[in-house]
Amino acid sequence: MRFRFFFSEALDSLTRNWVMSVAAIVTVLVSMFVLGIGAFVFFNLQNATSGVRNKLEIEVFIKNAASQDQINQLGDQIKSMPEVKDVNFVSKDEALNRLRESMKGHEDVLNALSGNPLPASYEIFLKDQNNIDSVARKFYTNPVVDNDISSHLNADLSPSATSMPVSAGDGTKFTAGMYFRIDNEVMRVSGDPNGDTVPMARAQVGTTAAAHGAHSEIVNTDGIKTGGETTDRVLKATNYILIGGAGFVALLAVASILLISNTIRLSIFARRREVEIMRLVGATNWFIRWPFVMEGVFTGLVGATGAVIMVLLVQNFFVNNIVEQMPFLGAETVPLFWLLLFIIGGGGVLGSVGSGLALRRFLKI
Amino acid sequence: MIRFENVTKTYDPNIIGLEDVSVHIERGEFAFLVGHSGSGKSTFIRLLLKEFEPSEGSITVAGRNLQRMRRAAVPHHRRSIGCVFQDFKLLPNRTVAENVAYALRVTGQPARSIRRKVPEILQLVGLGDKMSNRPDELSAGEQQRVSVARAFVNHPSLLVADEPTGNLDPDTSVGIMQLLYRINRTGTTVLMATHDREMVDKMRKRVIALGGGKVIRDEDKGLYR
Repeated sequence: MRFRFFFSEALDSLTRNWVMSVAAIVTVLVSMFVLGIGAFVFFNLQNATSGVRNKLEIEVFIKNAASQDQINQLGDQIKSMPEVKDVNFVSKDEALNRLRESMKGHEDVLNALSGNPLPASYEIFLKDQNNIDSVARKFYTNPVVDNDISSHLNADLSPSATSMPVSAGDGTKFTAGMYFRIDNEVMRVSGDPNGDTVPMARAQVGTTAAAHGAHSEIVNTDGIKTGGETTDRVLKATNYILIGGAGFVALLAVASILLISNTIRLSIFARRREVEIMRLVGATNWFIRWPFVMEGVFTGLVGATGAVIMVLLVQNFFVNNIVEQMPFLGAETVPLFWLLLFIIGGGGVLGSVGSGLALRRFLKI
Repeated sequence: MIRFENVTKTYDPNIIGLEDVSVHIERGEFAFLVGHSGSGKSTFIRLLLKEFEPSEGSITVAGRNLQRMRRAAVPHHRRSIGCVFQDFKLLPNRTVAENVAYALRVTGQPARSIRRKVPEILQLVGLGDKMSNRPDELSAGEQQRVSVARAFVNHPSLLVADEPTGNLDPDTSVGIMQLLYRINRTGTTVLMATHDREMVDKMRKRVIALGGGKVIRDEDKGLYR
């Protein structure tokens, strides 16, 4: 009964002053839409970067000349390091198999190879990713570790490789005819004169590690690759994007709050007679305030609902159309429940803050 | 019922609303508050409703000291006072019945008792057949009856009327006065601020005359003069 009274009063205000209400709703919609898209982008970047972080951290390439004893000895040495969580031996055959798998559909690139140019390696996972550099440094002087992998590979593999800069997602420039990591695979970008960069493109942001020559900062030595620095750079870029996005959303949120507040101010003015009579007949302060609060919250919720619908449409469009064409983007939709909760909650907060502001300033009780 | 003890109210800067006013009005009394515009009648009524505080002195209404009253208790204090105004203060986009029901609704009364009380009180003021009309379809006198009905529907112990006949012709005014008189007869204290000389002289009730913020005359069965 009470609720119905408040609700009908609020609805009455909304429709009586519909131009202002629509303006406020649209502002909330835009700000919540930007917030939703930001959440989508953030979610995917997080997925991508945490993926890198959980993957291989250090890979130690072993010289082809190393004996089985030496290999085992190196393995034991790695296992005994306190910083190491897990270590995994990848034989030459396994490395090639992985490469083959990751290049499905582009086997012709591999078929051009003679023999197996890939070195055996140890994949090392650390307990604490901050130790990447210090652990990696321990292998620089190890005689079993191949610290000159690039020349070795180039000699073996792609004498005819043209130097063709391509770009991975994080902006690192590579030169064709080199090796780098993709999803734990060592693979080569072919120097295809047509500029076929598809294998390259499958390198997700931050997963590339060893690259030829001086083009990549992420190669500490040619033979030891760490994923840490790229990840850090991606995270840093993500942070900038996030800060910028948050600033934009904050501005829009302020605009929404002010607009809602102004809408409520107008409806307080339009209803000043009601308010006066309510006071005279002894309505409690909250009884007078509730319809205005509800009007503000309602404005926020309607705007937020519109934003949710738009975000879902954009997501679906993006995932269905763009990702289909460029699967390397690997975008995923944000879990629906959280998105809804986040945006609707945001709209409600904007609405209540806006009406609270107006009530404090314009409704003297 | 109403106790003003040495009440002074000054508005900034140094505008005197009331000055050292002491008035006692007993339960069940009918009293006129007369005086020129600016004599302090409205200040008196607004102090009663605790719309603002006196600068000095103390006010007691129905045994409650207004200075010691918490802010949260003010709405409840106002519920015990029915108010009628010169400009009726009706909601133009609501029917007569809804206007009266509004006073009950904002005090959180259940719908069933609202449905019972509203027709009852409208019958009492003689508007039983105008319940679903809007205020602008009614004459000024009828609108004032709606306003009286709204003021009295809660059965307050005090009814305050601020120039209720100020906008009405003499014949209609008599009708409103009769209504207020009947309400007074039920035991409700009625305080009526007015300019209406004829009405005051006809009624021969207590007259409290204000001038320049002071009580210049207070007599039972008085005249306007």
